[in-house]
Amino acid sequence: MDLRALIGTIEIPDLKKFLPELILLFLAFLLFTLELVLGKRQKKLVLPLVSYVGYFSVLLSLLIPWRYPGDTFYGNFTNDPLAVTVKLFATLITLAILPFVPTYYSAKRSFYGEFFYILAFTLLGVFILASSYNLIIIYVALELVSVGFYILTALLRGSTPSKEGAFKYLILGGLSIALASYGAAFMYIYSGSLDLREILTYQSADIHYLILGLVFFLIGLAVKIGAVPFHYWLPDAYQGAPTPVTALMASVGKLAFFIPVVRVVPLVEGKFLVVWTITVGFIAALTMLFGNFVALVQKDVKRLLAYSSIAHSGYILAAVAVSKVIGMKAIVYFLVAYAVMSAGSFLVLALLEKNPEWENKMEQFTGMRFALPYVAFAFLVYMIALLGVPPTVGFVGKALVFMALSFDKLWWLAFIMILSTAISTGYYVRLIVLMYMHEKQRDIKVSWTVGEGFSLAVLTLASVLLGILPSLIWFLVKASAENLFTG
Amino acid sequence: MERISFDFPFISVSIAIPFVFSVLILIFREAFAKYIALLGTGLVFLLSLIALTWFDFGKTEAVQFYEEYTILGELGVKLSLGMDGFSLLMYLLTTLVSLVAVVWSMGDEKIKHRLKEYYIAFLLTEAFVIGVFTSFDLIVFYVFYELTLLPMLFVIGVWGYKLRLYSAYKFFVYIFISSLFLLLGIASLSVYHYKEKGSFTFSYFELLGLNIPNGFEIFLFLLFFIAFAVKTPIVPFHTWLPDAHGEAPTAGSVVLAAILLKMGTYALVRFNIGLFPDAAKALAPYLVALGIYSIIMASWMTISQTNIKRFVAYSSVSHMGFVVTAMFLLTMEGLRASIIEMFAHGLTSAGLFMVAGFIYNRLHTFNFASLRGAIKFMPLFATITAAIAFAAMGLPGGSSFWGKFLTVVAAREYSTALALIVIVAAFFSGAYVLYFMKTLYLDVREESVLVHFRDVSGYPLVAFLMILAPVLVVGLAPFVFFAFYEGVIQYIVRYILRLPF
Repeated sequence: MDLRALIGTIEIPDLKKFLPELILLFLAFLLFTLELVLGKRQKKLVLPLVSYVGYFSVLLSLLIPWRYPGDTFYGNFTNDPLAVTVKLFATLITLAILPFVPTYYSAKRSFYGEFFYILAFTLLGVFILASSYNLIIIYVALELVSVGFYILTALLRGSTPSKEGAFKYLILGGLSIALASYGAAFMYIYSGSLDLREILTYQSADIHYLILGLVFFLIGLAVKIGAVPFHYWLPDAYQGAPTPVTALMASVGKLAFFIPVVRVVPLVEGKFLVVWTITVGFIAALTMLFGNFVALVQKDVKRLLAYSSIAHSGYILAAVAVSKVIGMKAIVYFLVAYAVMSAGSFLVLALLEKNPEWENKMEQFTGMRFALPYVAFAFLVYMIALLGVPPTVGFVGKALVFMALSFDKLWWLAFIMILSTAISTGYYVRLIVLMYMHEKQRDIKVSWTVGEGFSLAVLTLASVLLGILPSLIWFLVKASAENLFTG
Repeated sequence: MERISFDFPFISVSIAIPFVFSVLILIFREAFAKYIALLGTGLVFLLSLIALTWFDFGKTEAVQFYEEYTILGELGVKLSLGMDGFSLLMYLLTTLVSLVAVVWSMGDEKIKHRLKEYYIAFLLTEAFVIGVFTSFDLIVFYVFYELTLLPMLFVIGVWGYKLRLYSAYKFFVYIFISSLFLLLGIASLSVYHYKEKGSFTFSYFELLGLNIPNGFEIFLFLLFFIAFAVKTPIVPFHTWLPDAHGEAPTAGSVVLAAILLKMGTYALVRFNIGLFPDAAKALAPYLVALGIYSIIMASWMTISQTNIKRFVAYSSVSHMGFVVTAMFLLTMEGLRASIIEMFAHGLTSAGLFMVAGFIYNRLHTFNFASLRGAIKFMPLFATITAAIAFAAMGLPGGSSFWGKFLTVVAAREYSTALALIVIVAAFFSGAYVLYFMKTLYLDVREESVLVHFRDVSGYPLVAFLMILAPVLVVGLAPFVFFAFYEGVIQYIVRYILRLPF
């Protein structure tokens, strides 16, 4: 082969589009090295500090890919507004969760320096997952995120539920990855390409392999999202994991795992649009009904929130069933909204768990308004937001989903959504009533650091403010959604 | 619809004042809470009176004091606040009743704990309800409509009577679930506008000009109707009301009955008739039948109550039946009757709940059996009670007379038979008031119970007089109030319903 022709095809990677990932990679290795080198006392101080600096620089560097959209690495790395939006919120929420980590672990008398670099690697996985159409890269990134979560879930000394959750997550997660890669293989057979865009726009009379591949691929992702009937790992893993990690899985994890699905949505074309709508709609209906029904009987608040997380996957999937721009906006907004709400609500639990007597039991919330007025207020706001009472983020998300559903005239799904939201009033309002309308029963003492207080305050404010003024993030949502459809 | 802006943003200021005073309550000591709340609601009431003087009664159908701020341009969400004559009337009722509720609470010995939150809840409710009555953007309307739930949930759940938690749950669950249908309806309407005109909008003025195919219009009508029927409430959907009203503290019941129920009927006129006139015409016979059924059933249930608060609560349902019946007769007289009845019921139900609350504070019971002849020894209170109860019954000169009378007139426009049915229904609603009066005045107390009651005085007396004065004004000079919304109902009948006029 002519050497010049070969050189001509070599693309020089446009590293400025890849800058945040590079910083993150560097941060991860730096944390890894520091973890090896430093003594135990220094670790407790240095590792969080380095993490903060690192994530803040990642946050700043996200401005550059936002300014220069476009593909790089032979089109394997897509840098579009959706990717930047996801990365932005993933980093922000990780930063919000970070203050809770050292204090939580020291309250539980177990400190792991490994936490910090695994967190960085996980976030790197999220970043790559957010900006790829290539099946192999999606596969690798999925593994990176999942393995990170398996380890983070298990990182709690002396806690068997944590190990159990991690193990269940590992087994089902492994199965899902296998399924996804099997699906990827079918799609490769169908089109001879690994790029989702090419696969889904490939013209061929026989689309059986495509359907088969897509089904396996999406089942793999459905496990990760926690869609019913692939959700069995989720409550155990969420309940067993150290609570800051649960917050991370519920917010950043959900955000990340939805992205490959989201990228498929605009490419669903006429040939299997009906099948798509019915299948996804059915799964969505099942997920929201199941999640809310089971949440209704939970006594453990952490587990309750885990089931509520399943239910929210259902709401988002309902918008996925509508493969239109308005549906896409609903998905992106709701993902961000849910990330904020769920991170906040789990972090409240993380704060409370620092008290050794706290067991996340529902009755322990009784009269919390008197013992911990600020924490109770924050939790009240998250409950209202998760329920979808205006003017919170949850409400705007639900309104957008309703708009999307009526756009496609999916009335049956809309009514099921009303029904499942109706069911969810039961447990959210019960918590509100317990906290505010019962007499004080016992004193719960919890102290919080400045960082924790600040992070909870910001999340609480965000869950209200982004609901009153959605225009604050609407430009991101709009750019993400419209770019996917117009290309 | 014409929109007229004004130099001074009356509406947003009267929504903002309660918020500012809520923050003040948070800052200052608990002992000052009630005075701050009084000042806040008083200020808003004053503002509403000033707004009244600036309102152009020559053009009541025009939306005046109009303000508009864009919230989300792409989806067409705007904070568009304004008032036509109908909104103005409801706005006045809101500011008046909120003030009365605060004045009452100051003299209510039941309210002793968590005073800061209590008064904040009332201030916030006032702000949200003003928002409901003045928003001309459907999604903003929905936001305010839902927001009124939260303070009331707390008012019922924290300061209520024995069954307060159960009632608070029930109240929240019923209203929240039913309003999800409304949300779906609003979303569908906006999407339909997008498909027809190419842009999303929630603006009432733009949606007014939409031509919706008949089947879809009925579907949307029903989605809206479910929410407002539960809120109003109309009989098969009324079961939350006796609990919520019966268990709430007196001031909470006053606000609930006097203004929160009006949100449902207001929205039925504004949105169900305004946006879906064809569906309204098609469904009108059924809805009128439902309204009459509501009156009769609720009256029967009222008579069978042994708890005076639940008695008043059920009587509200029967009055709302009149409002709904009159409204869906879809004539000038019907709408006139409906709106004046909303205002009148706002006053009389507030008064009756205060009567019940006052009796409870003196006797510590709601039970009818132990109330026999209870108020004989309180001449002033007995007079006030009689005035309010007769006004509620619809005695000429009382405020509810015009609502009932005009409903009969409107029904007569269709057929004499319908008018007779309405009269029979009105008979039942008169019967329970007479029963109420008989128990309180004429029955003889058991011998063994000898109690000396202090007559009404102080804050409660002020609250009663603030209700009684407008009750008499409505009864004796209803034309003052008809003038508020004459243009509005003419507009509805002429341009929206397109009926021969």
